[in-house]
Amino acid sequence: MSPREAARRRWARVAWIYGLLLTFGVFFVGPFLMGFLASLKPDPLEWPFTLRFAQVSPKNWAAAWRLGRAGSGDPWLGGMRPGREVVLEVAYFWPEDTPPPLEAAVPRRRPGAGMGAVFETPYAADHVRLLGPELVEKAPARLGEKEGYAYRFRLRVVYPGEGPFLERVPLDLEAPRGALYLGATLDPTRFERRGRVASWDNVVPGFVGYVFHNYVRAFREARSLETGESLFLRWTLNSFFLAAVKVITTLVFASMAGYALARLRFPGRQALFLFMLFSMMVPGQVTFISNYLVLKDGIFGLSKLFGVETLLNTYTGLILSGLVGAGAVFIMRQFFESIPREVEEAALIDGATPWQTLFRIVLPMSTPALGAVAILTFQGTWNEFFWPFVVLTSPREIYTLPLGLLSFRNAYGQVGDWGLILAGGFFSMVPVLVLFAVFQRYFVEGVSVGALKE
Amino acid sequence: MRIKARTLEALYALLLLLPFLFTLTVFFLYAFVRALYFSFTDYDLFNPPRFVGLGNYLTLFRDPLFLTALSHTLAYSFVVTALQTALALLVAMALNRPLKGITFFRTLYYLPSVVSTAAASLLLLWLFQRTGLVNQALSLLLGHLPHLGAFALLFLAFQTAQVLWERRRGLTVPFFDPALALFSVPLALLAAWGLGAAGILEPWEVRVEIPWLPTTARFLGIPYPLWAIILMNTYTTIPTLMVLFLAGLKGIPRTLYEAAALDGATPWVMFTRITLPLLRPVLFLVITLGLIGTLQLFDQVLFVGGSGGAPLEATITLAYYVYGNVFPSGATPRVGLASAAALFLAGLTLLIVLLQRRFGVSERGWSA
Repeated sequence: MSPREAARRRWARVAWIYGLLLTFGVFFVGPFLMGFLASLKPDPLEWPFTLRFAQVSPKNWAAAWRLGRAGSGDPWLGGMRPGREVVLEVAYFWPEDTPPPLEAAVPRRRPGAGMGAVFETPYAADHVRLLGPELVEKAPARLGEKEGYAYRFRLRVVYPGEGPFLERVPLDLEAPRGALYLGATLDPTRFERRGRVASWDNVVPGFVGYVFHNYVRAFREARSLETGESLFLRWTLNSFFLAAVKVITTLVFASMAGYALARLRFPGRQALFLFMLFSMMVPGQVTFISNYLVLKDGIFGLSKLFGVETLLNTYTGLILSGLVGAGAVFIMRQFFESIPREVEEAALIDGATPWQTLFRIVLPMSTPALGAVAILTFQGTWNEFFWPFVVLTSPREIYTLPLGLLSFRNAYGQVGDWGLILAGGFFSMVPVLVLFAVFQRYFVEGVSVGALKE
Repeated sequence: MRIKARTLEALYALLLLLPFLFTLTVFFLYAFVRALYFSFTDYDLFNPPRFVGLGNYLTLFRDPLFLTALSHTLAYSFVVTALQTALALLVAMALNRPLKGITFFRTLYYLPSVVSTAAASLLLLWLFQRTGLVNQALSLLLGHLPHLGAFALLFLAFQTAQVLWERRRGLTVPFFDPALALFSVPLALLAAWGLGAAGILEPWEVRVEIPWLPTTARFLGIPYPLWAIILMNTYTTIPTLMVLFLAGLKGIPRTLYEAAALDGATPWVMFTRITLPLLRPVLFLVITLGLIGTLQLFDQVLFVGGSGGAPLEATITLAYYVYGNVFPSGATPRVGLASAAALFLAGLTLLIVLLQRRFGVSERGWSA
């Protein structure tokens, strides 16, 4: 084989491997990417599934930004304030010489179904006035075989006098049969009645309100029945709070326990270690019944000393029952075993207690293990479902994000509002994904360390 | 009086271990013993437990729902473990080479496993709807069968032409020579696309509308909704296992492969004689972790069931059976029965671990 031939073969092999890697990449990332794109659509289950839709067109981004700023001064989330006016232009193809009769209306439409339907928000139809459509331009045009004219109309939505802030201003525009929609300042959310009615959910959406329509709805529509605050925001904050607390308790207590197991001699050390391994293998379904009862009684009645009857539906209960996981202790122990003893021995000779040695000398050089434990704990708590699901049942305000997602799924799954469900799911992924992007090394390390058994 | 150094050390150990011992004793040991006790009693959370001996365990095996849950759990566990182990090994072997940008791919592939089961379940629900992406992709694939067929034929034609040309030049090339295929595949793709664009090949009108979720229909004895969960979970667990395999593959010396290549070993022989035997400890670890994890399937069942979703008898698992008996909607809790089922699940898990310890190689060999 000539050297040239050999080189060619080597290159071919490399090319095939990259091809294979790319194929795997599509497999691993594809469903997420498609799901994310679908979560931007008004109807994520449309058939056929398209990748070119109104929400990804830069023209609409710019229009949504302008309309939002015109409506309320907020180009991001839009809305409409009294004394403002927005202008929308629509173009139709129409074969005849006289302009097509268009009927425009601001419909009285309830925002969403499920949880969102409970709340009474001011109807735009009661406050705004619609001027137009007035003809602004007429030009001869051809559409395929057909000769005709392109008519451009202008619609003005004005909000005179005083009144409440309107989150959304819907608009319906009905064209006669034979008129073909050519384009608009902002593409309509959907077409109804065989394409004759162009319907905008909101003509003053703002950039975020248009592109991330379902995400904004997830925050706006799921609201607490008592206080009216956004439930979705509440759940997110709850999850953050719990994850932060649990990371701190786990870091402190797991290093303490791990150090004792790795370095100190005490009776029953080996037995404790084996018992710990055993506890990691027993499924949570075995222990949750008793743990539920223990929290119900406030940990053998101890909570009554603090005037708390039961620890069910409290974060105290959830935190106390998960102070430190056996897995984290295991990782810390393995790490401490792997570092040389000499440093500590010097400290011990100087008369330092194990407590001081751990916190002054060993921990400052344990950042890789602490990082891995922190990341894995955060991810674990953020994603944890079963135990919070048992402990936190009511009110809905105390849910964590995964529990909130379940109530989302149950509230909107029946009516088929998949945009909202997907948006909720993707939003809940963001913190973990950000964390992963920044600290990916720790994720992988944590998996490898955590799985190594002695 | 001075305390002996030994005692002092033990006291410090106790101090350091205190929080962990609290969690371990109250929320594990006590809970485990209590579950054991409940499993021999008739308990409904409200009235004091009444001893019934082995009654609960006997009732379990007469409860058709439990048997369904058991068969689902076992089927799910074995299928997912087999699939994810094989695929993770495949991906790890593809990634285990010193190529530029390989870390990028590793990061990319790890993505599905950082996502919560809740979010993954929502994605699953969307993917497997009647007009969801899975059915759409199947429709697209079936609709373009003519194109695929044309592609295959064109590839064979181009490849044959090239191979014949090379052989006439006196070179010995195998039929599926990768260097030649590198030209045949893009050419065939382009030609097939061109035939479609020119209107010579028409896509068929196919609309696959498999109701994946709201059904009890079975495929290979496993209900459709469970298949959906199987596919989704395989997909989200592969990356974690892949990382473990990569760590194991790094430990295999390259020289072994080089020596085998000199002796003329084929890739398959190298895989079965070098990779697999040396990877056996990791393989056992991955299989054990997979089995333990899959036996506890719960979240997805809850998400996939519910309004407009899969019927319970098509997805119920042991973990869900336990939960459903402790907190049944509109019925008396059967804590005794639930505890017995939970302990059965724990026994199954421990059995698997013990089997692994018995037949697997001690893990000490490779972790060093």
